[in-house]
Amino acid sequence: MAAAAAAAIALVGLAGCGGGDDNSSSASDEPVGEATLWARDSQKGFINLLADSYNKSHEGKIKVSVVPAASFVQKFGTAAASGSGPDIASIDLVYLPYFASKGVLDDLTPVLDELEWKDDLSQAHKDLAVYEGKTYALPFTAEASVTFYNKGLFEKAGLDPSAPPTTYDEMLEAARAIKKLGEGHYGFVMAGQCGGCNIFEFAPHVWASGGEVLSEDGRTASFDSPEVTAALEFYRTMWEEGLMAPSSKTDNGSTQGGTFQSGKVGMVNLGAFFVQTLAADEKIDFGVTPIVGQNGGTASFAGGDEIAVTAGAKNKAVAYDFVKWSTGDEAQTLLAENSIVPVRTDLVETVYGPDDERYKVLGESMSTGRTPYSVVENEIINDNNGPWATMINKAVFGGGDIAAAQAEAQKAAQAIIDAG
Amino acid sequence: MTATLTPAPSAAATQRRKGPWLTQRRRRQLVGLALVSPALLVVLVFFLIPLGMTFWMSLHDWPLLGEHSWVGLDNYRQAVQDQTWIDSVIFTLKYTVFITPLLFVAALALAVLINRPGRPARVFQTIFFLPVVIGFAAAAYLWLYLAQPGLGPLTDLAVHLGLGTRESNWFATSTSALVTVVLMVVWKMTGMQMILLLSGLQSIPVELTEAARIDGAGPWQSFRHVTLPLLRPTLALVLVFSVAGSLLAFDQFFIMTSGGPSNTTITAVYQIYRTSFINFDLGYGAALSALLMVVLAAVSALQMLLLRKTDHS
Repeated sequence: MAAAAAAAIALVGLAGCGGGDDNSSSASDEPVGEATLWARDSQKGFINLLADSYNKSHEGKIKVSVVPAASFVQKFGTAAASGSGPDIASIDLVYLPYFASKGVLDDLTPVLDELEWKDDLSQAHKDLAVYEGKTYALPFTAEASVTFYNKGLFEKAGLDPSAPPTTYDEMLEAARAIKKLGEGHYGFVMAGQCGGCNIFEFAPHVWASGGEVLSEDGRTASFDSPEVTAALEFYRTMWEEGLMAPSSKTDNGSTQGGTFQSGKVGMVNLGAFFVQTLAADEKIDFGVTPIVGQNGGTASFAGGDEIAVTAGAKNKAVAYDFVKWSTGDEAQTLLAENSIVPVRTDLVETVYGPDDERYKVLGESMSTGRTPYSVVENEIINDNNGPWATMINKAVFGGGDIAAAQAEAQKAAQAIIDAG
Repeated sequence: MTATLTPAPSAAATQRRKGPWLTQRRRRQLVGLALVSPALLVVLVFFLIPLGMTFWMSLHDWPLLGEHSWVGLDNYRQAVQDQTWIDSVIFTLKYTVFITPLLFVAALALAVLINRPGRPARVFQTIFFLPVVIGFAAAAYLWLYLAQPGLGPLTDLAVHLGLGTRESNWFATSTSALVTVVLMVVWKMTGMQMILLLSGLQSIPVELTEAARIDGAGPWQSFRHVTLPLLRPTLALVLVFSVAGSLLAFDQFFIMTSGGPSNTTITAVYQIYRTSFINFDLGYGAALSALLMVVLAAVSALQMLLLRKTDHS
C-alpha cells in the first residue's frame, strides 16, 4: 500500500511537470509557492488533513479556507465574479454545470486526459463537469443515497432484518408493521421542505422505476412523468396513513437524521455521511440497502464534490498539481479513512470500509449512481421554495390533486430552464 | 454634497496661506467639516454608494455571473405583476400587524412592572433582557429545536398541558407556523423594547404623577392621562423600530419555517434573498430591495411626523 502510494506521488509529480508545458504560462511553471483552496465547513473533518498531507510531500503549498456550506455558492460566485476567488475550489457537483457555463472555471480537459486512472473515476462526476465538450473539474469526493433501516425495529415488528424491502409495496408493509409497535413509532421520515434533500433521497425512487426528472441534457423537465406520480402517491400513502413522522412535512433537512436516531423510526433515505453519525452514536443497529423502485430495481443519487481550478487562479501550477494529486491513490485512501466515499471505482472495494457490508452497499451505489445535469439546478431543484420542493410538499402533504401539483411544478421548472 | 467634503483639507490649507481672508467663522466651519468628514466618509462608502449601486443594478438584467444589460424599468414592471412577490409583501404586512401590538403591550407591561427602585426590580429587568443578547439566528435555531415535533421539550409541555399530542407539528400549517415564530420573536425582542420604554418612563418626573394622584386620579387614570402622553416620543421611537424590524423580517422564517408549508411564510426580504442568491438575479433583487426601501422610508417619515407633533404639544 505504502509503495503504491509512493509510486502514485512520483507519477503525479512527473505528470505535473510534463503536462504543464501545453497549458497557460503560469501552469507550465514548477509547482511551487502557495495556492488557496476553498472548501465548505461540512468538509472540515478531512480537508485540512488532505492539505497537510500534500504540503508535507510537495514543494507547493495549499492554504485552505473554509466557507459556510449554506452560502458557498453565493460566496464563490461573488468572489469569482470580482476576481477575488481562490485558486482551487471544492464544489458540490450539482453546481458544476452552472459555474462551468459562466466561464469562472479553468478548462481541465488536458489534465483529466493525463490521468492514468481516468476511466476509473466516477462517471456521474465526470459527466457533470462537462460543459460544451470541455471538462472543468475533476472528481474529488463521492456520496451516495441509500435507505437506512433500523434492524431492531424490523425484528420487533416481525420483519426479517436481513431482507429489507425491495418494492414500494414492501416498504409500505414494513412501515405499517413498525407503526403498529405503538405510539411515537413511525415507518419512515423525510425532509419534506428541502429541495436538495429530495433530489438525493426521493428522485432515486423515480430512477429505479425507470423514470426521469430531467432529460439528459437538462433542457427538459419531466416532473409530470408517470414514474414521478407513482413515487409521489407512494409517499402520500405513507403520510396519510400516519406512517411518516409528523416532522416530515416541514423538515428543511435539519432534523430527519435526528428523528431516525431517536430509534423510533423504521426507515430513512440518507447518504454515506450518516453511516458515520450512526456508527459514532452506537445506539441503533442499522442496515443499509439501495433505494428501491415501484416494482423492484434500485437507484442512487451520486453526489459529492468535484475539485476545480478557477479561471483567474494566480498559482495555476500548484493548483493543477494539487487537483491531480487529490484524485490519486494517496489522497483517495486518506479520504476513505475519514469515511468519505472515494471517487475511484477501482479503489472503493479495497480502501473504503472493506470489512463492513454497509459500506459496500454505499460503494456500489456510488458506482451506479446518477446525477441530473442542469445549469439552473439551484433554482429548480435545490431552492427549498422552488418548483421541485414545492411539488413534493404539495403532492405528499397537501391533500390536493397530485397531477395538478406536478403540472404546476413542471410549468415553473420548464420556464426557468427556458429562460436560462 | 459629499463632493465638497473630500477637498476640505486642501481647501483649508489654501485658506490658511491667504491668512487675512480666513475669518474666525470660516475657520470654525472648516474645522467642523474636517471633524465630521470621517463619519461622512463612512456613510458615503457604506451607505450612499451601495444605495446608488443598488438603484443602478435594478435598471439592469444583472446575473451573479456573466454579462449584464440595460433593461430600464422592466424589473419594476415585473415586480408589480409578480404574484410571488405580492404574496410575500402581503405576508410581511400580516406578520407586522400581528406582532407589533403583541410586542408593544408585553414590553410596556414589563416596563411598568420594573419601573421602581430596588434590587428585585433590577434582577427581573436583567432576566427579561437576557434573550435580547442572543443572536437572532441562534434564537431561531433554539426555538426550532424546542418546538420540533417528537423531539422538542415544548411538545412534552404541550402534552402535559393537554394542548396537543406528540403528533402535533406546529410548523405544519401556515397559521401555527406564524404563531410559533411570533412567540419566538416576542420572547427575543420584548426585553429590548422594555428597556427603551423604561428609559422613557424614568424621564417622567415623579411630581407629575404625584400631583395627579393628589388631584384624585386612580392608577389607571394617571397612567392614561399623564404617563402615556409624556411617553409619546419614546412610544413613537419604539413603534417605528418595531415596525421597521418586522418589515425586514428574514432570519426567523428562513431558519424556522424555510418559507413553508408550501411557501406560505415567505417574507419580502426572504423573496429578495431567493431572487438574488438562489436565482442569481441580482438586478431584479435590487429592484425589489428598492421597492422595500420606499416602504421603510415612509415608515421613517411617519416617525418624524409623530416626534414633531409631541414637540408642539
